[in-house]
Amino acid sequence: MQERRRLRGLLEAADRVMPYLLVGPALAYMFFFVGYPLVQGVRLAFFDEHGRFTTSNVDYLLHSPFSMFRDALVYTLALTAIVVTVEFFLALLLAFFFNSVRFRGRNAALYVVVLPLTISDVAAGLIWYAMLTENGFLNKLLLNLGLISSPVEFFGWQNRGLEFLAVVLTEIWRSTAIVFVILFAGLQMVSREYLEAAEVFGASSLQRLRYIVLPLLLPSIQAALIIRTLFALQVFGDVWILAGRDIPVLAGEAYYEQVELHHTGVAALYALIIAAISILLGFVYIRVFRARYLEAGR
Amino acid sequence: MRGLSRSAALGVAVLVVIVAAAALLLAGRGGGTTTASPSAAGAGAAAKAAKIVWASTQLVPPKEQAFVKDKLLKKFKQETGIDVDFVGMSYSDLSIKLESEEKAGKVTISLIADLHGGLDLYASKGWLEDLSKFPRLEGRTFPKVLEDYSHLHGIKAYVPWLTATYVMVVNKKAFDYLPPGLTKEDVMKGTEKWTYDALLAWAKNLEEKTGKKLLGFPAGPHGLFVRFLHGYLYPAFTGAQVKNFDSPDAVKMWNYLRELWKYVNPASTTWDAMADPLLRGEVWIAWDHTARIKDAITTKPGDFVVVPVPRGPKGRGFILVIVGLAIPKNAPSQDAAWKLVDYLTRPETEVEVLKNVGFFPAVKEASGVLPEGPLKILAKGVDTQLSTRDALVAMIPSLGAKGGDFKEVYLTAFKQIVLQGKDPAEVTKQLKPQLLRLFQETGAPLPPPDK
Repeated sequence: MQERRRLRGLLEAADRVMPYLLVGPALAYMFFFVGYPLVQGVRLAFFDEHGRFTTSNVDYLLHSPFSMFRDALVYTLALTAIVVTVEFFLALLLAFFFNSVRFRGRNAALYVVVLPLTISDVAAGLIWYAMLTENGFLNKLLLNLGLISSPVEFFGWQNRGLEFLAVVLTEIWRSTAIVFVILFAGLQMVSREYLEAAEVFGASSLQRLRYIVLPLLLPSIQAALIIRTLFALQVFGDVWILAGRDIPVLAGEAYYEQVELHHTGVAALYALIIAAISILLGFVYIRVFRARYLEAGR
Repeated sequence: MRGLSRSAALGVAVLVVIVAAAALLLAGRGGGTTTASPSAAGAGAAAKAAKIVWASTQLVPPKEQAFVKDKLLKKFKQETGIDVDFVGMSYSDLSIKLESEEKAGKVTISLIADLHGGLDLYASKGWLEDLSKFPRLEGRTFPKVLEDYSHLHGIKAYVPWLTATYVMVVNKKAFDYLPPGLTKEDVMKGTEKWTYDALLAWAKNLEEKTGKKLLGFPAGPHGLFVRFLHGYLYPAFTGAQVKNFDSPDAVKMWNYLRELWKYVNPASTTWDAMADPLLRGEVWIAWDHTARIKDAITTKPGDFVVVPVPRGPKGRGFILVIVGLAIPKNAPSQDAAWKLVDYLTRPETEVEVLKNVGFFPAVKEASGVLPEGPLKILAKGVDTQLSTRDALVAMIPSLGAKGGDFKEVYLTAFKQIVLQGKDPAEVTKQLKPQLLRLFQETGAPLPPPDK
């Protein structure tokens, strides 16, 4: 009898500790692969080799003639704003289309839309670079159709505007699928019963969209926007392939400062800046897209 | 034991697993025994003579390392029975390792392969053996310029092994559009008529007649265009790389480049290597490192010729990269290391390296061993450039970790003056202190041809 009570006590203790044991590995992972590097990053950016606090890296970023920080910041934010906006509406349209229209080959069409997800940003950059060069597919097509008399030059510092366009096109082509998949899944979860009930009560399709579908889609929209924006701020591979440093972006500059110039502190600072902007935007998204009435129900 | 809930049973199972794993881990620690024993030391000493460490800052990319280990060193081992551990490392890593080994008095590296600049630095610190104490290498002649450069700080510091340079490649179609006063012979032989002004006239003629900008440079983020700026244009126009950075001659040079850039394919700022643009026909005249245009020549040898670069007012400036083999002071197994030097500098071995990596042989006998074909085209062009009468040799300064900053000065000047249209006198005056600071901070000497 005594032993049984002791054993039960032991098992109850184990039960209490169990949640921490189960969360343990995840916490350890977060600490080693996120927490510790973050602390090291701050150390690299703000402390010199002797351990003294220094703002020389910030100075370099803002005042050195070698630093392309201001351009990189502007280009990254502009790229993010344009690409995320266009992709969001495009993905929304696609999601509605695939959700409401049933046609033969719908599954095949779905696979095709999602295919770019499998391609890395560098591969996408190379594909579009090959398509847009002077002797590439697009120029040959336009020349044959007689729409232009000499090839359109997409690349080079002097053609920065068109380079930016090429980057925007590549990014949209490559990652609309990510936003689409999230929105599509969210759309499919909107219960038909609500829509049918609304129809019975005489709601037009626009009213159904505005008062039922979009509010229920809000969590998916929030998730899609956070994910897409965070990745957009880290854009690097395709910009590098298509435009080199003609269009500097934050992640690309971090890479260049570290690999070519060995300015480790500056590169760490760039990474911290990207993180800070991401956190800020994530916070904004969570506030703006909070589905309040859904939470009230829990 | 009735009454155990399911979650409790699970908890017990997890605890048991954790304890068992911990026990296994701790048991494994104490259980392993080392196999080293005193009697093995004797055999180890004999084995040590047959194994040496070769540290190199060159041929480090994976494909090139594989070539060294699988082909070069395997054959060497078959011949001599000596095992070579090829360790590729960065310039700063080698510098740190050599310094710590020399200071501690325990040297493990038997042979170093590095650029002239690095070996110059090590010789100045007394970390290299005087190689004149070793037996002569039979059957090879080194060009005088290489012999001269290999004697540093009173000793024979290294044996020249490989060279590299940057050349111009011309698509034969471009010769139909030569400007008046310039002939194909002038370009291919590098006569005094092959000047930068002639290049400008040629590029202008190409654009007027074909409507396309057919001159190209590797001005992408990883491209080597910066070497053209500090190692070719600056010596050719100002006679020095660094000293005359903001002189009136330099201003003339930047104005020239601004004029030339009007006829350069704008996509140059996205190109890291010129082989593909040449093959795609997007440019007909290109400048790049021999290794980065090698693929164009080997793919379509009939389409291209390799020519020396043009000359400027002060001479035909070009960069000579010398890779040398040196033995650290008090290194182990020095005789085995010298055997390796002998093997590596054989004409046949150097030709193998040329075929696989694109670095050129340092011994004259090697060109006799080259078969007809693209490599001979390449070698001929390089040879012609090296033997022009007005050759003005420049070398890349060895600034260690600050090498990137050095390049950034010239690249920033290019971006601001040529691309953004700022005033050359102002920009060069603003950037010169940054440039000089690099040499002051590292204590490195100004590179040739600066005196």
